[in-house]
Amino acid sequence: MAMDYAPKQTTAWITGPIALSLVVFGTLPLWIESVGLYQYIGVEVLIWVIFALGFNLLLGYTGLPSFGHGAFLGIGAYAFGLAQFEVWPNLWFCLIAAFTVTAAFGAVTALFLSHRRGIYFALMTIAFGQIYYFIASKWTDVTHGEDGLLNIARLPVDLGLVELSIADNGQLYYLCFAVYAVLVLLLWRLTNSPYGRVLRAIKQNETRVAFVGHPVGLYKWSVFTLSCGIAGIAGALFAMAQEGAYINVMSLQWSGIIVLMVLIGGGFVSFWGPVFGVILYFVARDVLGAYTETWLLWFGLMFVVLVMFKPDGLAGMWQDLMRRRTRTQPAPVAATKAEG
Amino acid sequence: MLLNLIPHLINGLALGLLFALLALGFMLIIGVMEVINLAHGSLFTIGAYVALAVMAPDGGLPYAFMEPYYALPAIPRYLIALVVGPLVAGVIGMGLELCLRRTYGSDPLYGLLLTFGAALVLEELIREIWGSSEYYLPVPQQISGGFIAGDLIYSTYRIYAAVFAAAMVGVLWLFLNKTPYGAVIKAGAHDSEMVRALGYNLTRLRLLVFGFGAALAGIAGVIMAPIWGIRPVVGVDAVIPAFVIIVLGGVGSFWGAVSAGIMVGLVVALTAAFLTDWSLLSMYLLLLAVVTFRSRGLAGKSSVLEA
Repeated sequence: MAMDYAPKQTTAWITGPIALSLVVFGTLPLWIESVGLYQYIGVEVLIWVIFALGFNLLLGYTGLPSFGHGAFLGIGAYAFGLAQFEVWPNLWFCLIAAFTVTAAFGAVTALFLSHRRGIYFALMTIAFGQIYYFIASKWTDVTHGEDGLLNIARLPVDLGLVELSIADNGQLYYLCFAVYAVLVLLLWRLTNSPYGRVLRAIKQNETRVAFVGHPVGLYKWSVFTLSCGIAGIAGALFAMAQEGAYINVMSLQWSGIIVLMVLIGGGFVSFWGPVFGVILYFVARDVLGAYTETWLLWFGLMFVVLVMFKPDGLAGMWQDLMRRRTRTQPAPVAATKAEG
Repeated sequence: MLLNLIPHLINGLALGLLFALLALGFMLIIGVMEVINLAHGSLFTIGAYVALAVMAPDGGLPYAFMEPYYALPAIPRYLIALVVGPLVAGVIGMGLELCLRRTYGSDPLYGLLLTFGAALVLEELIREIWGSSEYYLPVPQQISGGFIAGDLIYSTYRIYAAVFAAAMVGVLWLFLNKTPYGAVIKAGAHDSEMVRALGYNLTRLRLLVFGFGAALAGIAGVIMAPIWGIRPVVGVDAVIPAFVIIVLGGVGSFWGAVSAGIMVGLVVALTAAFLTDWSLLSMYLLLLAVVTFRSRGLAGKSSVLEA
């Protein structure tokens, strides 16, 4: 392992980067149109950031390469739609339902995965992703197969006294932002807790962690389940954004693209890697996509070159830059440690 | 009643042996390079498309200078396709290996990601050249069509595919076990650093093994093309069963992969005979049933990639 997260942990709830990200995302609808983009891309970015941050618990922090995670985004979207149609069209209820159902699917899946490593883990996640994709495409009574589950409503935010509509993309954005804000605080605390410490140790050397006495299987099972639950929340928001739940996000390709986003941003070396990666992906899709229909070709090439020459991604480049700057100044050696 | 199953069994055997061919190429690459080659499906697809370009005048390369060539009878063109398809896949595989060199020695995840990026690139390239529509690979008359024996209809091509794939598996086994080249490859899969220490050119060995594994994917693509049709994403349909076979059979076991391949092929074909829609699910259920009881598959050994 060439690089890792900053070794120092913190007990702070708010750090500089968290505050910065809240300010940037919080003000985004005010300036996004003046840089030539549009409101909906902000919604997409935030939803995928939520998904990617949850996924990076698994990929970056625990070193478990799941190639079937898109399936859980899809399950969340279907669960949200079905809860809304069949049970109770209340936003909070449906969000919790999406989280719970997806986490339950994840928990069952993780039973088969939590004692596996490396290649067997990767291949088994591909197999499970395909199983869920396959079931979703064939069980048309529930999922409507290739047509998708249509007309999922953007349920109003019920705050007891007032009810806020999120029918507009700008309004939906702020719901996603609220979810993001809560999630980023919780995940930051989690990754800087003793639990997060053990996850990082499992990534380094699973056998030794077991020798020290930690129940490795339980850690892997719980982090997989949690990561799936977060994917479920992202799926619920995505279902509202698209006003429908579709099967394409469950495919192997989308499961791979989420890995690609996290890696290209530098999820291996930084908590913020997934955020950079998702932004880069969606901006590249719109900017490159305006010039060529085969933008994915160029994005793929860029990714290949990045893995070859700078496998730590955007966040890795940033850390190198900071390190070089501190090195040129006569700074004490201890200050050359990278910031998380 | 049981006799009615014979055509399905032949289909299953053909599918299973082709999956096994794909899985064996994939396993050679894992063994020597310690890389999970996610572009393996794309190499399969490339084999199929190249065969199409060689066989059919409307197969994507409608250049005027090719016309005298397309006037050739079907059989020589098919033989050329059988050579050129794997060759192109092999060369692309070697190019991929050159890119992969930078990731050796770091986390195997980087190699896996690089090949995923390469798979995206290859798939988009295919779309760019051939478009997204579906093609069928024409084959010589002698191996197309069907015949009736007893009360049952047999597809000639399926029988040909099963025999061809079985022969390929046999040749591969002989190559790996009875030639000095095979011995070096197997030794490389066991401990590549030690092979280097013994004075073999490991760099060249890796290049050739990757090319060889890719060529196996390419030839499976050529043979599968008339059965499945040719689409840009057809590689995914082929490579997923190959992954399942590897987990089922266990990494590093030749006969594990072949027997798992035949099992998967038969299970898929038999379910397809009765419950067409759910045929692929049976494969995953088989996988779950086996790995629940044998975590390294039927015949797997522990691998560096597990750590």
